[in-house]
Order: sequence, then C-alpha cells, then structure tokens
Amino acid sequence: MRPEPTGEQRELQEAVRGLLSREVDPDRLLRWENEPAACDPVLARTVAELGWIGLGLPTASGGGGADLSDVACLVEECARGLLPRPLLGAIRSADALATLDPADPLLPDLASGRGRLALALDEPGGRDPRGWKTALSGPRGARVVDGEKAYVPDAEGSDVHLVAARDGGSTAFALVDRRTPGVSVQALRGFGGDRQGHVGYRAAAVLREIAATDEALARVQRRQAALALAEMTGGMAAVLEMTVEYVKMREQFGQKIAVFQAVRHQVADMGTTFTAARHLAWQTITRIAAGAPRDVEEASAIAWVGQAFKRVCWTAHHLHGGAGFVVEHRLRFHGERAQSLCIRWAPEAPALREIAAALLD
Amino acid sequence: MDYELSPAEAAWRDEVRGFIRRNVDPGLASETRLKGNEGRGPLALRFHRALRDAGWWGIAWPKEYGGLGKSAVEQWIFIDEIESAGAPMLPLTVTSVAPTIMRVGDEQQKREWLPRINEGGIDFALGYSEPEAGTDMASIRTHAVLDGDEWVVNGQKMWNTMAHSATHNWLAVRTEPDAPRHKGLSMMIVPMDAPGVTVQPIWVWPGLRTNALFLDNVRVPRSNLIGDRGAGFYYAAMALNFERLAIGSVGMGRRMFRNLVRLVRERVVDGRPLKDEPWVRERIARLAADLEAGRMLGLETAWAIDQGRMPAAESSMAKVFVSELVQRIADAGCEILGLDGQLHPEEPTALVEGRMQWLYRLAPMLAFGGGTNEVQRDIIGFLGYGLPRK
Ligand SMILES: Cc1cc2nc3c(=O)[nH]c(=O)nc-3n(C[C@H](O)[C@H](O)[C@H](O)COP(=O)(O)OP(=O)(O)OC[C@H]3O[C@@H](n4cnc5c(N)ncnc54)[C@H](O)[C@@H]3O)c2cc1C
Repeated sequence: MRPEPTGEQRELQEAVRGLLSREVDPDRLLRWENEPAACDPVLARTVAELGWIGLGLPTASGGGGADLSDVACLVEECARGLLPRPLLGAIRSADALATLDPADPLLPDLASGRGRLALALDEPGGRDPRGWKTALSGPRGARVVDGEKAYVPDAEGSDVHLVAARDGGSTAFALVDRRTPGVSVQALRGFGGDRQGHVGYRAAAVLREIAATDEALARVQRRQAALALAEMTGGMAAVLEMTVEYVKMREQFGQKIAVFQAVRHQVADMGTTFTAARHLAWQTITRIAAGAPRDVEEASAIAWVGQAFKRVCWTAHHLHGGAGFVVEHRLRFHGERAQSLCIRWAPEAPALREIAAALLD
Repeated sequence: MDYELSPAEAAWRDEVRGFIRRNVDPGLASETRLKGNEGRGPLALRFHRALRDAGWWGIAWPKEYGGLGKSAVEQWIFIDEIESAGAPMLPLTVTSVAPTIMRVGDEQQKREWLPRINEGGIDFALGYSEPEAGTDMASIRTHAVLDGDEWVVNGQKMWNTMAHSATHNWLAVRTEPDAPRHKGLSMMIVPMDAPGVTVQPIWVWPGLRTNALFLDNVRVPRSNLIGDRGAGFYYAAMALNFERLAIGSVGMGRRMFRNLVRLVRERVVDGRPLKDEPWVRERIARLAADLEAGRMLGLETAWAIDQGRMPAAESSMAKVFVSELVQRIADAGCEILGLDGQLHPEEPTALVEGRMQWLYRLAPMLAFGGGTNEVQRDIIGFLGYGLPRK
C-alpha cells in the first residue's frame, strides 16, 4: 500500500498548480463563460502544448502514454485550480476515444488541441444504455446515425461527436462530424454556465465507426467516473484549503472565527470527509487503472465521494458567510461543479442500489 | 391540547388564499424569478398595491397605526400562504422596520414615518452589516457625529440589499464612540438621495443583487435618529427578530417541494415512472415529514408570541431547522431530477424554471444570514435550556 502520489505525480501536480494559479481566476472564468468557446483560446493552446490533453493517449498518437492514475492526478489538480470545464472535458473525451480505439486517427488532433470531441451518451429518455434508441444503419461505407442525445457537454463547441449507438443487437460508437448535414444542435447552458446541447442526428453520415461491446461502453463509463472522482477530490482539496485559510483570517467578536469551537468542529468534519473521500476515490481510480473488475468498493466511492464534495462545499459556504457568496469567489465555482459532477457522474441512488444488490441478492 | 386552527384562523387562511387566487398569476411568479429582481418588478409592485388596497399592508400592525392588528399566528398563516404561492413577500420595511419604529420611536417619529410606510411611499434597505461586522454586529464602524441639528454620517455598509431601489436606508451607526460596543450604536433613517450616498452593485451566487453602500459626509436631520441614542444594537436585534419570523416559515420550501412532487408524479425515466423508484419515494416522504416538523416549529413560535412571550429559543429552532431543510429540499430536488434538472434557470426547458438549482445556490445564505445558525444554536442552548455561558 502507498496511498499517496508518486514523486513524479507530485511534480506534475505542482506544475499544473503553478500554471493555473497564474492563468485562472474567477474574473477570467466569468468572462470565458460568456465567450463562444467557453474558455480562453490561449489557455487552451497552452494546455494542449503542455501535453495535458494527450497525457493518457498512446505515444503513437501523439500522447504521453501515461496510465489512468497519472491522468487522474492531472485532472485532480486541474479541478483544484478550476481549469475551465471545456478543457477538463477535452481530457475526458480523449480518454473515452482512446479507450475504445487506441489507434483512432483523430487522437493526434485531440492531443494537440486541434480537434475537440464531444461525448454523446445520454438520451432524453434516460441514462440506461439498454434504453438508448440512437441507431446506426446503412450499407458499409455509407453508414448513418439516427437518434437524439441529451445534455451532451460541449456539443456545439466540438468538432466531432462520439455517439453511443445501437447496431442491430450490439453496441457501437460512431464518430460524427458536427457540421455534417443531419446534425442539429440545440445549445443549452447548464447550471453554472457550462455548455451542453441536445443533439439530433438525422441520417447523419458517420465518419468512422467503432465496433464495441457493452463491456467497452462500461469501461468508458467507469474511466469517466474515475476522472470525475479525481475532479471531485481536487475540488474538495481546494475548498478545504481556502476554508482553513479563511477561518484563520476572518475575525468576529474580536477573535479569529477559527477560535469558535462550532467553527473548528465544522472544519474538522470537512477534513475528515475529505480525507476519507480522497482515499475512497483513489482506491477506485487505481483499481480501474489496473484493469480490475468493478467491485462494491467502486460503487461505494461513487456513492460517497460526490455527496462528500457537496457537504464540504456546503460547510465551506457556511463558514465563509457573505464573503464566499459573491459571484467572483472561487468557492461558488466548486459548489456548482460539485452538484453537476454528482448528477452526471456520481449519482448516489444507482450506486447504493448496486451495493445493496451485492450484499443482499 | 388542540392543534387545529380556530374557525377564525381558518377563515383568515381561506381569505388569504382567495386573495392570492385573485392577484397572483404566472406572470407575477415568473417576474420574481428574473435575475436581479428582488421582488420590486412592476407586477410585484402591482401586487403590493393590491395588498395595500385591501388594507393588508400592515396586517401585523396595531389598528391605531392603520394596521389590521392580526395575531402572530394569523401573520404566520399569511406569510406561509404568500410564500407558498410564490408571490412577493411583504417588504421588510413593513414587517421588520415599521414594527420596530412603532415600539421604539417617539410620537413625532411615528407620525412622520408610519403613515408614509403604510401608503407605500417608503421602502428601506437594511444597513446593519459591514465588511468587518457580520455576525458581530456590535463591531459596526460607520459613525455619525452631531453637527448642529444634523448628523454627519461616514462609513461603509456591505450587503445593503435593495439599496438601488430603496427610498431610505435603515442604518446602524456608531454615535457613542466612548460607550461599550453594544451601547454605542443608534438606528438612523438615511434618505437614499442624500448627497454623499453611493451604491455599488454586488452580485451573489443565486443571481441576486445586493450592494455596497458608501457614506461620505452624509447629512441627516437630527430627528432621523430613531428612539434613544445608544440603543441601536437592541433595536436592530428587535428588527432582526421580526425578520426571522419570515425566514423560519416553511412556505417557500413547501412551494418548491410541491413543484418537485408534481414533476416526480409525471416523469418517466429509463422507461420507469420516477415515482416508482424506492429511493425517490423515501426522499420525498422524508422531506414531507420534515416540512411538517418545520411547520410545527414556526407555528409554535407564533402561538407563543400571541401568549405574550418572547419565544427566542423557539424562533431560533425554526430558523435553524428550516434554513437547513431548504438545503435538503434543494439537494434532493437536484438529485431526483438528475440531468433533466441541471439546466441554467434561463433555459426555457429547465424543469421547475431551474428553481431546484437556484435553491441549491440560495440555501447557504439562509443558514449564515439572518443571524447565523451557530449563534441561533447558542440561543437555543442558553435561553431554551438554561445552559451555562461560561
Ligand atoms: C445576498 C445577501 C444579502 C444580504 N442582505 C443584507 C441586508 O440587506 N442588510 C444587512 O445588514 N445584511 C445583509 N446581509 C449580510 C448578512 O446578514 C451577513 O452575511 C451575516 O450577518 C453573516 O455575516 P458575515 O457574512 O460577515 O459572516 P461572518 O459573521 O464573518 O461569519 C463567518 C462564519 O463564522 C461563523 N461565526 C461567526 N460568529 C460566530 C460565533 N460567535 N460562534 C460560532 N460561529 C460564528 C458564522 O456562523 C459563519 O459560519 C446579506 C448577505 C448576503 C449574502
């Protein structure tokens, strides 16, 4: 056992922290939210040039060849420093494509930041892949995709969509050029300003098709969840750190508020929650990285860490009072990400159901 | 023991509901959702006029001041129904500042301010907080010095909500620099159009606007100091007590919950009715029981006031419980609606107009604002159960 990052991982995190502390602040985040690409093109280029987006991609595709744990370390630190969500999304979607086909010709473009890929999984009817209706059809060489995808992150800002679809009885993924006829995107803004879209595919020409299995889809989703866990522990670390600093500095009644027992206890609970959440998260991340099959501990991490992040944010907001409530405060960005990460990648109910089934059925 | 509303109280509730049916339409409800609208849009103002026309502006005011003289329980019923309908609340000018002026102002001050408030001509922003004076209100630094027949006010207020639309500020200022902290403050009415008053917007997480207020040699008539010099801390505490009665109401929570229940009843997710999910059923049921518990706490507080008691511990219980319950409602709403519920409130397809997300963002402020929950818990311990302070 060695429940802490390696020296190399630590170095990576320090480099990330240095850059983000210089380049990202709430005022810029607010400004970028209103820009068409929802992030700064210069920062996007820098991030790609530093190899962050391609870190986990095969070296043959222009990537860094790192494993999921390293990518999660990167993502954890990026979340801590509030890297704009489209860039975190770029790391995630590159991982999804590489998981399905490590030799896909799009990967070098993703690694270099020339191309952006959106993950089109969920459908308006729900999130269970067995119920998805989007389907591939047509003869070889002229394949098309039909269907509807919901809440696709970065649907409009991306160049290519990775669309989960049915192909007869089995699962397949289709790469579809966003600008190809038959693709219509209804842009939506999520809670906290992130860009999403409802996408309709009407006989949309398929660029490339990746035959897959239900297992491959599950693998993609597990890795996405692992990266979400890393985002959550990164966010939690930042929130805990800023709260510790704040209660040591803020004075009321002639003393630091940290002196109040009620305040100290809340900080202590935040710390306990964060510490447990981080280990739960990393146990799962490292197991997924090692290719282990899904286990109850993985479901526990999903069920626990998201709720923990929300609790930590809630307490932090409370301890910051009005000061943390202004739109320009870093805290509220984490509070938003906590809830939206939880909803998308770590909903508690299905994870609890899975744990119960493992124990009781 | 009897837990039912009396026939008169029930009749009053029905009257309030009738009024709401006649005067609240979807336009009004959606106006109150607009960004930066804190209940002062044209439709809200029209609703307020209807309240005044009905003689309901001062429902809690004694009849001698032109009020309805309703009991605390009847007020509570009114607040609960209004919030539950999503209509704009009575302004704090009417429910918090005016009752304080009634109790502590001199006769001339009552004659000067109460009729104008009652006519709707005066709207206060509440100026207690400062950058360094939040929970610890006694550390206020904004100060006023007497110069002839005028006070000269200097300083900065923070979180001065409504300052941009108010006619006046209900301002806590230090007038007795040499007195002990709690005894050095006074409450003063400052017209917003007085020279030297500057307002700067502050936007907060749920999309609401509040303000920083700067006072630079602002001259205010001597008679605008309400009640006694040096008693401002206690007057502010009194006004805040009146304010808490509204925070401790479960009306808003009930409205959000009702909307959530309506959605859960009709939605189908992954081919299954959402209402058939055991965890959804449990969460919903638990919240319903919580709301009933919160209603009891609020009602008990109101009832105790009508018995002539000062139910400080009870009102703190209601405030703590309801503010934390609102957060649980918001979080359950976000989880239950899932991806369908996480759209930005300004998206036309956002479920319940994005109100669950909005509530998630609003909730923290209910806990640290209006007298932070830690202090409320202290009050429950000290005043409710006589726990020793030292
Ligand atoms: C949107 C918004 C609108 C507002 N509108 C108004 C308004 O119109 N007028 C107005 O005057 N004010 C207004 N406020 C201010 C509000 O009343 C304050 O935020 C509140 O009093 C808390 O003060 P603070 O934010 O400075 O937090 P602080 O007092 O600094 O508290 C920080 C943390 O310390 C804790 N703490 C403080 N003292 C103690 C203690 N003794 N024991 C244990 N814990 C303690 C608190 O619980 C909190 O968790 C508004 C605030 C917001 C955010």
